[in-house]
Amino acid sequence: MTLATPPSQAPPVLRVTDLKKHFPIKKGLFSRIHGHVKAVDGVSFELGRGETLGLVGESGCGKTTTGRLILKLVEPSSGDVRLGDSPNLAQIPNRQWLPYRRRIQMIFQDPFSSLNPRMPVGSIIGEALAIHKLAARGEQRIKRVHELLEQVGLNAEAAKRFPHEFSGGQRQRIGIARALAVQPEIIIADEPVSALDVSIQAQVINLLEDLQKQMGLSYLFISHDLGVIGHLCHRVAVMYLGKIVEIGPGTALLQQPRHPYTKALLSAVPTIEKEKRRKRIILQGDVPSPVNPPTGCHFHPRCPHRFAPCDKSYPNLAPLGDGSVRVACHLYDPQYKDQLPESFRSSQSSPAVLTA
Amino acid sequence: MSFFRLDPITRKRIRRFRQQRIGFYALILLSLMTIASLFSNFIANNRAIAVRYEGEWYFPTFKFHPSSTFKQEDPYGDSEADYRLLAKSAEGTGNWVLMPPIQFNPYENDFDFYDDPPPHPPDKRHLLGTDDKGRDVFARLLYGLRISMLFSLMLVLLGTIIGVAVGSAQGYFAGWFDLLSQRVIEIWSTLPLLYVVVLLGTMFRPTFFMLLFILLLFQWYSITYYMRTELYREKSREYVQAARSMGASHFRIIFRHLLPNAIVPIVTFTPFAVVGGIFLLTALDYLGYGLPAPTPSWGQLIDQALESSNRGKLWLSLSPFCAITTTLVLVTLIGEGIREAFDPKPWSQYR
Repeated sequence: MTLATPPSQAPPVLRVTDLKKHFPIKKGLFSRIHGHVKAVDGVSFELGRGETLGLVGESGCGKTTTGRLILKLVEPSSGDVRLGDSPNLAQIPNRQWLPYRRRIQMIFQDPFSSLNPRMPVGSIIGEALAIHKLAARGEQRIKRVHELLEQVGLNAEAAKRFPHEFSGGQRQRIGIARALAVQPEIIIADEPVSALDVSIQAQVINLLEDLQKQMGLSYLFISHDLGVIGHLCHRVAVMYLGKIVEIGPGTALLQQPRHPYTKALLSAVPTIEKEKRRKRIILQGDVPSPVNPPTGCHFHPRCPHRFAPCDKSYPNLAPLGDGSVRVACHLYDPQYKDQLPESFRSSQSSPAVLTA
Repeated sequence: MSFFRLDPITRKRIRRFRQQRIGFYALILLSLMTIASLFSNFIANNRAIAVRYEGEWYFPTFKFHPSSTFKQEDPYGDSEADYRLLAKSAEGTGNWVLMPPIQFNPYENDFDFYDDPPPHPPDKRHLLGTDDKGRDVFARLLYGLRISMLFSLMLVLLGTIIGVAVGSAQGYFAGWFDLLSQRVIEIWSTLPLLYVVVLLGTMFRPTFFMLLFILLLFQWYSITYYMRTELYREKSREYVQAARSMGASHFRIIFRHLLPNAIVPIVTFTPFAVVGGIFLLTALDYLGYGLPAPTPSWGQLIDQALESSNRGKLWLSLSPFCAITTTLVLVTLIGEGIREAFDPKPWSQYR
């Protein structure tokens, strides 16, 4: 697994603080709200210039919703989203959002439904230019569209064709060209390769990497594929049930996971090399319902190392060691140093990560 | 934008419609009939198309000329010139008159030629005979076609525009607007059409546009059901999310993204809606609550034919019957052709 080196320290281009989305559950027409699906429940992170932050987690953990909340495609319940020195974008009306949409764009998961089947590719890519009045009509816009197509490795001639004439990988390139049209600083990539064949995945990932080098883009890369995340991301955040449970540099996090959930998640990655195979950690039970998350740490009913404080309070996302890794787990809280369960201590002495 | 090209799905559908020969030919035939009926004034009229008289040109279709213009005897003063007479008298004088193929207009009572009272059976003078007021049946059928077609097309067009607008707004904005408007439509759709038309017909004497308006009240909502669900489905697709993330306005999303994807199948409903409109107008005319009296209409002809004094006078009943049947069959064939062209399974057929 090759890991990209993290970029130099600079003020973040995107700062998300305590972002929440609680979907109300209503029954009938006039009845009251019965409860909330806490799809995203207080997510905070920062994204530096030229950095790729991976957001991983299993289905339904809220990673996709997080991406959409940032762009206000889903209305956030509360929280704070700032692009550089912008005002809080989670709270301003859509009309004032418009200038910021030039700076943050999105690539979608499904290359088939993310392109309008009745629009020629040129119009699809040129649309953002029209909305933001970046290239005047006619010649100038066509030229820019051709440029963009070539930038993502397609023929300029593709502009006249319709989406159904392209393969999945080509369509995803069109989606990338559309996102690049306004020259954004940040791209939120929502599982951009999970719908593609493995051979095509590599091409698209290489394209994303090249574009990052050329244009200094920052990516929020949402995926459940740890292999892709490990290859592409400078930092990784792991989500479980609407919260980030662990965030840290890609290398550190993937080679030495701290949170029991991250460990379990990593142990599920299939490997070909026999000596690298990890001991599979089988979690008990199912993901709890986000309507009624467990008390205390959301993960405690399934955690192999749970102990006294786990069902009492939710652990803070606290920095570890040099502060680059942060973990939300009582096992790493110095306060409980003396009460650690035996199972955890023994796994610490013989690293659980690489089991020969 | 110069990337414009008719999108491939639509082009494929048009090609497939043309391959369904019957529907395509029916469309051509009906279009010809409709276009011909638009030029009814040149086909069935007592006014000449062109007159050359004493070195002057006259086009009476467009302008009233008193009989004195052509030095005709006129017992009443300034009544209109009789062009049929003029045509006869012009022979061999160097003047000439170009008469329409049918030399009667649909309002004209042709009493003087016959000794017995109308209706008269078909003869050389009146190809399909005359009705009980001595009016030429063919002329009335032709003008009746024009009125029914225009009425029905306007009804469908306006109804579709209103229905698409309301249905799209419901589907797109959803929430409270959808909830309330959907309830209003549900209540509104329980109003019985015939009672309301009869009631209003007894209060006012309905004109063409008033009747159009009344029927529109019962026409517009049927399309909202379709548009509403279609927009609900389309707007959840990722390309709409993509447009929103770019900052596209509601207007742009609705008109550039959603409608082009949702509106085309409406074409499949249209022919059947047109048939329904023609049928409805004919039925209302038959009942006497349609367009006011002298207006040439098919329903009124059928009403005449069914009067007891007109029993056995088949030209009165058969001619509107054939006209209605032909129109309805043609429109249905077109509708069937369009439906098949839109069918995603290319070889399925109704047998």
